[in-house]
Amino acid sequence: MKDGKLKIVPVFEDIMPQEYIDLVNNGLFGEDYGVEDLGSFKELLEEHPLCAGCGLALAKRLIAASFPNPEDTIVVGTTGCSSLSFTQMALHNIHSIFGNQNAVASGLKRALKIRFPEKTKDVVVIGGDGGLGDIGLGMVMHSWFRGENFATIMLDNEAYANTGGQESGMSTLGKVLNMAPTGKKFPKLSLPQIAYESGCVYTALVNPADAKKLGKIVKNAILMARELGPTYVQIYCPCPTNFKFKPEETLDKLKERRKTDYKTQEFISPEAKQFIERLEGEK
Amino acid sequence: MKQKNYQVLPGPESYLPPAAASQGIVLPEKGEGLIEGRIYGEEETMVAIAKKLLNAKNPTFFPGPLVLWAWRDGVIEKAELLKELADIVGAKIIPMPDYRPKYPKINPEEEINPNHPNLTIWHNKIDACIFIGVHCHYANMGLKLIRGGTNCYTIALCGEYGHEDANITLRDVNLDTMRKLIKVTKEEKKKIGLKEGGNANG
Amino acid sequence: MDKIAIKQKEVDLNHLLKKSKREKHFITGSEAVKEAIKRANVDIAIAYPITPQSESMHLVGDLYAEGYVKDYYRGENELGVMSAIAGAAMGGVRVFTATGGPGTLRAMEMFPTWAGSRLPIVCSFLTRGINSPLTIQPDTIEMSFLLDTGMLMFHAENSQDLFEMILSAFTIAEEPDVHLPIGVFADGFFTTHTREIIELPQEDIKLAPYDPYISPVPAMDMETPPVRQMRDPFVLKSNFISYAAHASWQQEVHAAKERSIKHINKHLGGMLEIENEDAEIMIITSGTAVSQSRDAIKRAKEEGLDVGLVKIKTIRPFPYEDIRRIVKKAKKVLVPEFNIVGWLAKEIRASVEENYKIIGAPRVFGGMTMPPELILEEIRRACK
Repeated sequence: MKDGKLKIVPVFEDIMPQEYIDLVNNGLFGEDYGVEDLGSFKELLEEHPLCAGCGLALAKRLIAASFPNPEDTIVVGTTGCSSLSFTQMALHNIHSIFGNQNAVASGLKRALKIRFPEKTKDVVVIGGDGGLGDIGLGMVMHSWFRGENFATIMLDNEAYANTGGQESGMSTLGKVLNMAPTGKKFPKLSLPQIAYESGCVYTALVNPADAKKLGKIVKNAILMARELGPTYVQIYCPCPTNFKFKPEETLDKLKERRKTDYKTQEFISPEAKQFIERLEGEK
Repeated sequence: MKQKNYQVLPGPESYLPPAAASQGIVLPEKGEGLIEGRIYGEEETMVAIAKKLLNAKNPTFFPGPLVLWAWRDGVIEKAELLKELADIVGAKIIPMPDYRPKYPKINPEEEINPNHPNLTIWHNKIDACIFIGVHCHYANMGLKLIRGGTNCYTIALCGEYGHEDANITLRDVNLDTMRKLIKVTKEEKKKIGLKEGGNANG
Repeated sequence: MDKIAIKQKEVDLNHLLKKSKREKHFITGSEAVKEAIKRANVDIAIAYPITPQSESMHLVGDLYAEGYVKDYYRGENELGVMSAIAGAAMGGVRVFTATGGPGTLRAMEMFPTWAGSRLPIVCSFLTRGINSPLTIQPDTIEMSFLLDTGMLMFHAENSQDLFEMILSAFTIAEEPDVHLPIGVFADGFFTTHTREIIELPQEDIKLAPYDPYISPVPAMDMETPPVRQMRDPFVLKSNFISYAAHASWQQEVHAAKERSIKHINKHLGGMLEIENEDAEIMIITSGTAVSQSRDAIKRAKEEGLDVGLVKIKTIRPFPYEDIRRIVKKAKKVLVPEFNIVGWLAKEIRASVEENYKIIGAPRVFGGMTMPPELILEEIRRACK
């Protein structure tokens, strides 16, 4: 907490609302907290308008606890449920329009490289499956082809949730949803593989039931993106509202899918492997 | 839809008051200020600010992020001068720590927000206020909403070019300007004090 | 990569355009874009090909290779380019791009987003027709779609204008009381692909850099407070208070456009230029139609016909008051245009009381040229 931008001017310390004092005195800026420390520090994301039991809210809290360098991290989101809590996030973040997040992040990361050549500024894309896998897929893939230095994290709830539960490319085969009245006719996109083939040095499929592993993967993906190139993390985020289950069943849904098709797994390139070994060697 | 001789007066003006700039109000040049949409010299503008603050029942300062967070040199000093001015006129200080909409969860007693500033003004019955350290876009947005729904007299101390949407504005406000404004305010306070037999406490 | 050959001194716009010694060059409009960017101290330029814009962005690419521009790449499509340019501008650097015609429409969603986010982006629109049928020919129809995006719009008559307007656009766009995107428009082919003599200031000077810390909205750099900040937030709640905030935000964007007039007067010498204001027949137009009208007016004079000319330089902000005054005095007003809808004639008709005086002619489109004879014919008809 040495940074001036996070220091309240002394004469106004007594009038600042408690949540800002907590953010400064008990937040994770400048500290080495992780997922396992949740509950012991003031989170970046606190109040939010997402539904009870929302998988996105869970994933976002876990991600926010895992940024390696939150005091220099800028998030780029995209329209939809995935972005609804961002105005509440204690980080600079951008919304822009639906699907253009990876293009925005490309320009932003390059700008920050020019302005702060001596400092690492992490840009992280966090968006939903519609924004990343459908409407914005071209811009997502081109950011990978170009080798842009940022991590892309998909919060995959397997539907367009905010617009009322329509089929997305990430919905599973046969699933009946709005705009798929007789069931989805083609399988879920295999984006981790596509990412790997498109230049991502490290891609991972994550089930938040493995919370600690999620933290480690997000950290790795952001650190590697700085030096090696683009990385991709896809996190399963069950949606009780549109998939019609009770909020308290979210964890069960995670565990069910962990047994079948949504196991946590990594696709690690040789240079990513070297990088991870180096990181672990430093510890 | 331009009105003739539009003046930037305290509200409540309408459900959606026009931006003063779209009514032909032009920002002041260096060394000038704006009082209710008309150009005056900096000194005269300062006197008007001092009088408004000293005569208000419940003057309140709204420091924004640029003066609440010690992000660059000079901010701590500017905050101290603002506090000094508040003490002279007996003003309360309610911060605007950031710009995210907080409706309806805002606690109007302890903070103000540019997206719904009226909640704080109504709740605390504020009749004169100062905006300072607020990014210009958010300041204008909030000032317009205040003119729309309240009768609060707004004063904007701007580090850049000033704000037509405030009832009074000063531009290029730096540490020297703050010191000068404090001096002018002390003098005005003295004058009022003499008139009222030395009992003025702002 | 070869890095910059010339050491450039940083100056302000006034020095660059008004004080620096000028030399004559015989160049195209695309080359004029390059010459402007060479002196604009641009951090990032992003390109995507489309005729007739492509050459200008090739040349900006050359500037990157030479070290005048710090970063440059070819994007995936215009929406991607305009999005990346927005990201870079939010990161607090000076940016430039260019497009035209179908490219403009492909990227359309970003233009109001730029304005709403208060981004001082400079984009050159080198105009062309819109499908269908497919056309690559000159046409200014795209300007009609951009009138209400919140962007400022400058319209160049020739390459000299294009050069001056691009450089002025950076300074005007970046003023903290404006801080809006500016589109600098030039008629594709007529301006981009023809060579003319233009006067350029020296190469060893450039604009001083953009300062993100005086912006009316915080740069997204995690340096500027507040750190809890969504740069372009949305209305989260469905209620009157939240919608009023959105409305006030939009008013502020349009207020910023009004504030630009002061800076336009200072740097561009006003929103319009008037010749022979007291003539009974006035021509009001913009872009290359101004040059064509000059020719026609010269010939009309030889026939004893007295015709005045108004060159509109800024379509947004639009010089409503001057136009009202001019139209009031004139008997008839011709508005020559290079598009089927006649957006300029509509704009003028909507801003004056005597709209029966406005004759939306001659009007050509689909790539047609506008020979001065066409205008002369309309002048003769109006004089009858």
